[in-house]
Amino acid sequence: MTGKGSATPATYSPSPTSRKGKPPAYKDGDLNWARPDGRGFQQCRPAYFRTGAVNAASGSAYVEIGNTKVIVSVFGPRESKKAMKYSDIGRLNCNVSYTSFSTPVRGQQLDHKEYSSMLHKALEGAIILESFPKTTVDVFALVLESGGSDLPIVISCASLALADAGIMMYDLVASVSVYSLGVNLVIDPISEEESYQDGSLLISYMPSRKEVTQLTVTGEWSTDKINEAMNICLDACGKLGEIMRMCLKEAASVSSEVNLGRPGGRLKGLQGA
Amino acid sequence: MTGLSLGEKLFIQGGIAQDLRTDGRKRLTYRPIYVETGVIPQANGSARVQFGGTDVIASVKAEIGRPNPMQPDKGKVMINVSCSPTAAPIFEGRGDEEVSAELTVTLQRCLLGGKSGAGAGIDPTSLVVVEGKVCWDLYIDGLVISSDGNLLDALGAAIKAALSNTGIPQVQVAADASGEDRPEVDISDEEFLQFDTSGVPVIITLTKVGRHYIVDATGEEESQMSSAVSISINRKGHICGLSKRGGAGLDHSVILDMISVARHVSEQLLNKLDSEISAAEAVQNEL
Repeated sequence: MTGKGSATPATYSPSPTSRKGKPPAYKDGDLNWARPDGRGFQQCRPAYFRTGAVNAASGSAYVEIGNTKVIVSVFGPRESKKAMKYSDIGRLNCNVSYTSFSTPVRGQQLDHKEYSSMLHKALEGAIILESFPKTTVDVFALVLESGGSDLPIVISCASLALADAGIMMYDLVASVSVYSLGVNLVIDPISEEESYQDGSLLISYMPSRKEVTQLTVTGEWSTDKINEAMNICLDACGKLGEIMRMCLKEAASVSSEVNLGRPGGRLKGLQGA
Repeated sequence: MTGLSLGEKLFIQGGIAQDLRTDGRKRLTYRPIYVETGVIPQANGSARVQFGGTDVIASVKAEIGRPNPMQPDKGKVMINVSCSPTAAPIFEGRGDEEVSAELTVTLQRCLLGGKSGAGAGIDPTSLVVVEGKVCWDLYIDGLVISSDGNLLDALGAAIKAALSNTGIPQVQVAADASGEDRPEVDISDEEFLQFDTSGVPVIITLTKVGRHYIVDATGEEESQMSSAVSISINRKGHICGLSKRGGAGLDHSVILDMISVARHVSEQLLNKLDSEISAAEAVQNEL
């Protein structure tokens, strides 16, 4: 058995070391490197949005951006638990989870514990919590496939699901991230790119109100670079917001018919700044 | 910090609008900062920092470990924060998890830089003993003893002070053993290496109350905030991390204005902290 095992070629196993260990196309000082999927630096992946993915929920949305696939259900408003203190504004309860098959290696979803609280922070500024006192709204996000930029996609999808559920909001929240590598700013990274970034910036933005609900930055940035990155992101958020709005409009206009069409927009060649 | 009457709330808000806060400070003035180093003898480095009624301890422990195979030339730095129930009864049991997790994530974001290790306050390459085989694992633990607002900035300052207090033992690697998978190392208990902490940023949280923002908010003032932005800035004036805390949305020009205010404040805070830390070190050496 042992002799045979060593003679035959190894069975296929998606080892993380062979994937991530691949040297990045980028080298120091190199300005014209190519992204792994051939996109331009400030080009987002095509986006597909659809509402009403889960029948049992008050509202739900499904988003597919590149390989990242996310489904979000919104339940409620329901009565807050008895243990909770009285509150004259509504409560928002957010949870982000990953399927065990969302990453190349099963069960390798690491540090995503903070995503739930980050989703909460990105949404609470957009929801009119005063409109449902004493009650709780649950937002459950499930990442079916993790293909990079998971959190911004979860945030955008959740705001669409909230809108689908008829929760009162000031505006939709569109979220986009950029990362910096050397001197370049690159929008909407895929997983592979995320693993060798120098710094990242994530913005959640309400396009019509022109307000930022959430902003996180890691790595070292100069003010000019932050400014540039923010402008790229805000522009992309505006365009993403348009597509989300279109998806909602289409869903509303075909709601009388059987909802078999693909109410969603395709986002191609979204150019930043 | 709830249970303020309407009058008290208006008093706090009105004071901030008129640049005279309830404790007599201006909007961009800090409470008295007190730094004490070497408070935990078992740790490689430690510090206690007080910002008025906020009291935190940070300790740094170094252990020999193995580098991550993906990054063989880097040591590992772990940050963890816990809130003691001595600070507030709500921290009892699992009640501190939410606050602790948020502080931990924000500190990691502010101090450890990007995924590739660029922009980190502590240079992870300086922690490597034998590339790919032996490195130092740095465990940074923060503890909140008493809480009166602005926990994040106090913890950031305490970690900075604890790191400059840290001595990493000198390590000798047996010359013939460098080819082995697990080389034998000899850890000196007399010779210590100091860290270069000049690159460690300070964290400045600007709390927005009404149309103005304040630094070093007390617990009462924090209860009146509409939103807050924590910005970590190093000596070069570069932003090393930023995170927005809850509340309402902000116009992006407001955020840029906050960044420039924070940069201005960071210079003063860095100078103040550095002098406090060296004074504390001098006191510790005398003892």
